[in-house]
Amino acid sequence: MQRRARFQALCQSLRPDLLRFAFWLSRDRALAEDVVQESMLRAWKARDSLLDEDAAKPWLLTIIRREYARTFERKRFPTVDVDELIAKEEPLLAAAEEQDINDVRVAMMKLPDEYREPLALQVLMGYSTAEIARELNLSGPAVLTRLCRARRQLRAACGEDTSQDPQE
Amino acid sequence: MTEHAQYRAAMMADPHDDDAELRAHREACAECRAFTERLLKFESRLERAMRVDFPPKADVLPFARKQGKAPLAARRWMALAASVLIGAAIVGGVWLSLPQPGLAAAVVAHMAGEPEAWRRTDIAVPQPELADVLKDSKLRLKPDAGIVSYASSCTFRGHKVPHLVVQTSSGPVTVMVLVHESVRQPTQFEDQGYRGTIVPVPGHGSIAVLMRDSGIDAGEIERIAARVDDSIVWTG
Repeated sequence: MQRRARFQALCQSLRPDLLRFAFWLSRDRALAEDVVQESMLRAWKARDSLLDEDAAKPWLLTIIRREYARTFERKRFPTVDVDELIAKEEPLLAAAEEQDINDVRVAMMKLPDEYREPLALQVLMGYSTAEIARELNLSGPAVLTRLCRARRQLRAACGEDTSQDPQE
Repeated sequence: MTEHAQYRAAMMADPHDDDAELRAHREACAECRAFTERLLKFESRLERAMRVDFPPKADVLPFARKQGKAPLAARRWMALAASVLIGAAIVGGVWLSLPQPGLAAAVVAHMAGEPEAWRRTDIAVPQPELADVLKDSKLRLKPDAGIVSYASSCTFRGHKVPHLVVQTSSGPVTVMVLVHESVRQPTQFEDQGYRGTIVPVPGHGSIAVLMRDSGIDAGEIERIAARVDDSIVWTG
């Protein structure tokens, strides 16, 4: 019982960050909530494999990524229409009172998965390049390239001055 | 690639990279320094944009439902007990939440978005302008509060809050009056070159006090926060 309470407290404290990560992974609020909920259930079942509570966040995050991939396999979603996703999440986007924040959110929604995911890991979850590389099974230089391209695309989409950005 | 391009590519991959070579290049190159400032400003927007809010959920124990439900009568009792507890909390005005984990990070992210606030100056904001910023939060500052060199009504986590810079002998100190953010106890933080504390103000939320790039110690930050707290007169 005590273990369950500890696990609940752990999930509760990590839930906001995990939901945000799942949201930027899926760009779908309802799907993010489902994925995180299901992941916590899986995590509880696999709790014996968590040897160090300090490692709970990356452990849960890996479970979320797998659960998200499984959801896609199960549901066989058609090709994602970004405009549809943006329209669906309009209440969320409108909730950003500042237009400049809203612009970044729309640009993030349009960012390809391979750029959006490492960026979310870095900005939201505080992952280092090496940690992102390990999680996404990429090389360090590949992660750096993706992060650089992600920011270039976002800055350009938000009307930032990109004239001094490095060219590839 | 030139050194500039290498530097910029590295910063675009991680704007908070504190590598010594990158730092040395930034210090020697005004253009790359300006580039970094623009990049960090955008990064602050990005961090805020990614912090999407979800409604809190009391029950994050999905396994409790899946692994055998409690009998219906027991669940009814639990629901009743939960209702009574929630009701008691509302009626008693009890604020049960823990300090919000992202609060300090949100304060720091907000700072990075307003670099102009950090100028060291002895020019005070005109009194009517300062009063206008403070009035919505129902407070004013005592005359001995020090020179307020910056005052802005900023949107912070969905609320308008006063963002002030007070010039002190230790340098400019930023103060954010967070009447909508409650914390249980003083929370010190150190992040991205900022050092500060968020202190509870019973009945009025909390105050965030922070300094940038200073060798100030934690004790001094607490003393500054206490002085700031003392200089506020709540009018509502």
